[in-house]
Amino acid sequence: MKQVFNAVLAAAALVLVAGGSAQAQISDGVVKIGVLNDQSGAYSDLSGQGSVVAAQMAIDDFGGKVKGKPIQLLSADHQNKPDVGSNIANRWIDVDHVDAIVDVPTSSVALAIQEITRNKDVAHLNSTAGTSDLTGKACSPTTVHWTYDTYAQAHGTGTAITKQGGDSWFFITADYAFGHALETDTAAAVKEAGGKVLGSVNAPFPTTDFSSFLLQAQGSGAKVIGLANAGTDTINAIKQAHEFGLTKAGQQLTGLLTFISDVHSLGLDTAQGLILTDAWYWDHDADSRAWAKRWSQKMGGRMPTSVQAGVYSAVTHYLKAIDKAGTDEARKVVDTMKTMPVNDMFTKNGKIRADGRMVHDMYLVQVKTPAESKYPWDYFKVLRTIPGDEAFRPLDKGGCPFVQSAGK
Amino acid sequence: MITLFGYPIQALMGQLLLGLINGAFYAVLSLGLALIFGLLNIINFAHGAQYMMGAFVAWLLLTYAGINFWLSLILAPLALGLFGMALERLLLRRLYKLDPLYGLLLTFGLALIIEGAFRQAYGVSGQAYQVPKLLQGGINLGFMYLPLYRAAVVVVSLVICLATWLAIEKTKLGALLRAATENPALVQAFGVNVPVLVTGTYGFGAALAGFAGVLAAPVYSVNPLMGSNIIIVVFAVVVIGGMGSILGSVLTGFGLGLIEGLTKVFYPEASSTVIFVIMAIVLLLKPAGLFGRTA
Amino acid sequence: MPDSAPLLAVNDLHAWYGESHILHGMTFDVRAGEVATLLGRNGAGKTTTLKSVMGIVGRRTGSVRFEGTETSRLSSNRIARLGLAYCPEERGIFSSLNVAENLALPPAVRAGGLTLAEVHELFPRLAERADSQGTKLSGGEQQMLAIARILRTGAPLLLLDEPTEGLAPVIVQHIGSILQRLKERGFTILLVEQNFHFALGVADRHYVVENGRVVDCVPNSRASTATLQGYLGV
Repeated sequence: MKQVFNAVLAAAALVLVAGGSAQAQISDGVVKIGVLNDQSGAYSDLSGQGSVVAAQMAIDDFGGKVKGKPIQLLSADHQNKPDVGSNIANRWIDVDHVDAIVDVPTSSVALAIQEITRNKDVAHLNSTAGTSDLTGKACSPTTVHWTYDTYAQAHGTGTAITKQGGDSWFFITADYAFGHALETDTAAAVKEAGGKVLGSVNAPFPTTDFSSFLLQAQGSGAKVIGLANAGTDTINAIKQAHEFGLTKAGQQLTGLLTFISDVHSLGLDTAQGLILTDAWYWDHDADSRAWAKRWSQKMGGRMPTSVQAGVYSAVTHYLKAIDKAGTDEARKVVDTMKTMPVNDMFTKNGKIRADGRMVHDMYLVQVKTPAESKYPWDYFKVLRTIPGDEAFRPLDKGGCPFVQSAGK
Repeated sequence: MITLFGYPIQALMGQLLLGLINGAFYAVLSLGLALIFGLLNIINFAHGAQYMMGAFVAWLLLTYAGINFWLSLILAPLALGLFGMALERLLLRRLYKLDPLYGLLLTFGLALIIEGAFRQAYGVSGQAYQVPKLLQGGINLGFMYLPLYRAAVVVVSLVICLATWLAIEKTKLGALLRAATENPALVQAFGVNVPVLVTGTYGFGAALAGFAGVLAAPVYSVNPLMGSNIIIVVFAVVVIGGMGSILGSVLTGFGLGLIEGLTKVFYPEASSTVIFVIMAIVLLLKPAGLFGRTA
Repeated sequence: MPDSAPLLAVNDLHAWYGESHILHGMTFDVRAGEVATLLGRNGAGKTTTLKSVMGIVGRRTGSVRFEGTETSRLSSNRIARLGLAYCPEERGIFSSLNVAENLALPPAVRAGGLTLAEVHELFPRLAERADSQGTKLSGGEQQMLAIARILRTGAPLLLLDEPTEGLAPVIVQHIGSILQRLKERGFTILLVEQNFHFALGVADRHYVVENGRVVDCVPNSRASTATLQGYLGV
């Protein structure tokens, strides 16, 4: 039955191509967007269902149709496992004819999806994965990396804190690829800004009790303790640093990848004073507030993370590009995305570079004290807006093969 | 400054103390596990979930009823005890005639369901739970800053372990429990309602897990995954100590906490595996565990 | 002693272990104050009878009445609470309990049991070794302990499964004299025995068991080692 169906589809496609139609070419008459992320594990709060809701909002706000064709949303849980993620992506592309895969947290899964989408010519709109390799060595002409990356986090926080006088660092690092990358990038930024790194300790992933590592950090005498980890690891480390009086004793703590959901979980009593870099804050301006409140109503009163907002922004921009290009063919759509500035509730005048990096302003923020916080989720005060060109790795430093060849 | 293997002795003392604190959690959890295994012959895989539920009950009580930590320290174990007893009555009881493997599978499945339900309801980032007012702050010991709360955790855990051990070794009820562990049919033929004893024991084991959960709430985040993170270590503790040996699991719990603490100083990458290496060695040399009786 | 109302009346008792049918309609009774024995070859069903009366055997049918109360549907702890006490063949001394704890273990089910002092007077060794691990005692001492601990409970009916098995003659003799004293004190005893000489010395009546049935009842006055051996074809 399915074979018959596919044959009919193929025939229809042939007719279209043979007809040389100048009509909009939306393959199989529907634009399918798949949100692939962690819906049950460590990253399910900061991405998860909230990203699916954000993508659906983007589709609804766009009117549910592009070029007269319906837009359909799929979602699946990749469980932070590259093999699970790859299987889903392959099935989506081969069987369901998905046109774009969105969100994809966890760097190892994102890199696997990057290969699949590049080989099968499907758009990859990544919001939540950290690795800056997505627009570096592993770059792809069908990928846009939307919200943040390890380079931007490391440089935003590392540079700012070092320049403010936090010039000696000790790292507590999650003992896997992501943690090491974050530590290396931050250490480089710290040294560049004139600071020094006194030491680091690799904590197994995941770790529940950080007290031992915190004590080592304390013993190092460093002014700043950098947490090169994420999710519940970061939460536990911050909570216990507070408990052991590290911050009271004058040491500064920074989570190199901390989301607002982590701060919410910690509570302001514990998280106050924490400095971090984020790509977006719901309470930044009227646009972001309006969108966040709509999202919040669908998510039981929570507020969105930057990566969830990034999913909305990326999907919206993708649909605009299809509308403009008149096709859903991945390369053409992504190329069109690169020609259009991003102006929405996520950022003003964002631009997508040749390597797929969406360059936009980042924010160095500090977590408010309980006294400063006036209403629910009033957590951040912006210390500094980091201009996009400063926040992200320069185009020529990433080592993206097709960017280099184009430059010659 | 005196050093040992290149580390200042003060720093090592600090690390040992931290190890002891973690050991306290291991001890309380493995104690309950050993009790349940002894009498029911069931490897209670739901123990981690019960620990997590203890922490959540405390958090729910605080958030929705304003009930403080101290009251939760009594109420949450009670709630978990009742939950455990219901579980034993309704489900576990049906499996006693079958291979112990079925009990393991059932409790494992239950743990997955409970964890999934909490994850669905509360997400994974965890909920904040403040250290009770009375125990905020800490003492400067010279070689480290010891949070009062952590010190209290060690003391309370020691008291609980000691009290449980004394109750089992020195009281009439404890004698009944030990006898029923050996020969339940005969104890019942003496007029003792052994099924009630079994239900009570499982309830007590679950209550201990809940108690440890409440203790853990202010230290770690109250997180649906907190149980599965710790339970595997606790199983290793019970195996090393000798399945079903009460004293063995308590001593091993504290001891392994210390060893883990030292590993975090000398080779932190191995700190999550060292306990399993020890388990493998112990199983090779003494299959019944350090304190186990060979059958 | 009223003949009409036996303390224990067993009627058409059947019992199974899994699929195997062990008791095929045991019928006998034990009168208050007497010592009755169940005699028979290995595998005749004597031990199973005691266990069935105690409620330890899972599947059983027929009637067991104790002081007029039907017990065949009760669980073993409820049966014990009615006033039956059981001393198993393997003695069932708990290795994780010391002698004093073993002695104190069975709960009292009625007033009128022996006090600890009386138990110690009967079995002085148990007082001396109160703190020893139960299973570190000699075989004879373990048997004393197994009997002693059910005397405290106040149960008027004692079920003893081969109390002399594997013991030296002098100890068997001692146990015999103790049973005599217990009988004088008013205990009713149902005894499973292989040692005919011992049985003849203490019992009032003997039930001969074959293939899970009672085939005869012999008053002690008509019994001798020879007649009993004749019955059993030994």
